[in-house]
Amino acid sequence: MQAEIKGGSAFSYVEIDLEPGESVITESDAMSSMDARLELKAILNGGFWRALLRKFLGGETFFVSRFSNQTDSKARLTIVQPTPGEVKCEELNGGSLFLQPGAFLACEETVSLGLQWAGLVSWIAGEGLFRLVVSGQGKVWYGAYGALLTREIDGEFIVDSGHLVAYDPTIKLRLQLAAGLFSSFFGGEGLVTRVQGKGRVVIQTRSIGGLTSWVNPKLY
Amino acid sequence: MTALFNIRMHHSLDAAQISEAAVHFAKLFKIEPEKAEQLLHKAPVVIRKGASEEMAGKIGTALQKLGITISLEPVADAAATAAAPAPVAAPEATPEAEQSAGHAVNDGGTVVSPPDHPGYPFRIEGRPDFSFLTVMVPGEQMLKVEASAMATMDTNVEMKTKMRGGLSRLLTGESIFINEFHARGGAGEVGVAPGAPGDMGHVYLDGNVIYLQNSAFVACGPKVEIETKWQGLTKGFFSGESLFLIRAVGQGDLWFNTYGAMIEIDVDGEYVVDTGNIVAFTEGLEYKVSKVGGYKSLFFSGEGFVCRFSGKGKVWIQTRGVQALLTWVHPFRPVKKRG
Repeated sequence: MQAEIKGGSAFSYVEIDLEPGESVITESDAMSSMDARLELKAILNGGFWRALLRKFLGGETFFVSRFSNQTDSKARLTIVQPTPGEVKCEELNGGSLFLQPGAFLACEETVSLGLQWAGLVSWIAGEGLFRLVVSGQGKVWYGAYGALLTREIDGEFIVDSGHLVAYDPTIKLRLQLAAGLFSSFFGGEGLVTRVQGKGRVVIQTRSIGGLTSWVNPKLY
Repeated sequence: MTALFNIRMHHSLDAAQISEAAVHFAKLFKIEPEKAEQLLHKAPVVIRKGASEEMAGKIGTALQKLGITISLEPVADAAATAAAPAPVAAPEATPEAEQSAGHAVNDGGTVVSPPDHPGYPFRIEGRPDFSFLTVMVPGEQMLKVEASAMATMDTNVEMKTKMRGGLSRLLTGESIFINEFHARGGAGEVGVAPGAPGDMGHVYLDGNVIYLQNSAFVACGPKVEIETKWQGLTKGFFSGESLFLIRAVGQGDLWFNTYGAMIEIDVDGEYVVDTGNIVAFTEGLEYKVSKVGGYKSLFFSGEGFVCRFSGKGKVWIQTRGVQALLTWVHPFRPVKKRG
């Protein structure tokens, strides 16, 4: 399988060339164009109950699409994410990665998706009660609104709620006020997430909250 | 002592793809394109010896975009690295290359403050679509940031909320507060994400004055004063954004954001900008709001009012206007009827 992310950080899309016999799993409605010979099958996202959980708690879709190449030559598939923003690829080598709800876009069949209780802290911070764990072997594509930046953390770092996209399993999250009570309330920052540990954190450079607070005063 | 690795690259590119990838590869490692091409043909090959894990990660993400994967081979210890024969190539990943490695290939490039920059060290990533500002605030110094724009910060940075000059901000629907980030006990990093999708500009003020469109302010140094200025009724009413402008004066850095891409224009004489596309301009430029042509074109050309600058100075414009966005989106918004 060969894949390339194109389209810049604003409107990323992924071109995947499937070799004969290969297949890829994507979120439903992620396909924007494909070779007519590719076979599409909508499958439940890991069984009925798990699919339900993933839809309502993991910010994913109930069904996922499985594209497989049953022909004897290479076939191309193009996938996109619903929001404007960047898509990144992570090559898993037996390790795992935590994704925020809604960040998952597609993966190779050898990657397993799991839903994990993220804790009340994560929920209060607006990051969802559950988080997605991707593990195994192969490529995973994920994305969010805004450009994606990787930050190497060794120690502690503060990320505003709504900006966290993905992080290594070695990273722990803690919730705190941005500052004192007055500042946290009036300064517009409210609660922030304190990430601890050693590993990578991927942040998105825009948030939907920022977009609405920019646009809303201009609407009448 | 941290673990060191030799980085070996692999790819399955064909000859045409190699020559395409070689251009980027050469740029990334600051070597000749011919040499890069030769190197790519030799793959799998060790391209760097004794790299730290962090460095390997950066090189990995940069090369992944070219369809090249890397594998890491642990090096026993530093002595072994030194004793090892010279690598096939010793590409030196430059700081710029490393920083731009986190982005899509066709972005506008990361802006990094020059070493002799008189203000705070900073960099702007994610340009031009979703620019993101990271400022390194020196120990015991302070940075002023637009309310709720902070996205990341170090734990030794302390936030304080201050009232911002003028209650007129209440009328504009924007926050009347501004946040001050103090670095305590050493330098601290603050990451700022503006609300609007777009680019970001930086100027170093040295006593001069810059006017910003009302929602363009991102951040500034402690000695820069930010005031909201009434534009006057005719100017304000027709200038698209709002009745107010921000006047920035003092000494230090000033960052502002645009919606869309940003164009910097040196004005000498007269220049006309659509009112919705003004982001910032230097003091000394006179401006008046007027119609482009006669009354017929005012109503039918779709241009409406424009801003006519005259004098000598600089104007920053944005390549999209928020009103145009709203007009475009509005028919698709679910609207609840009032009353």
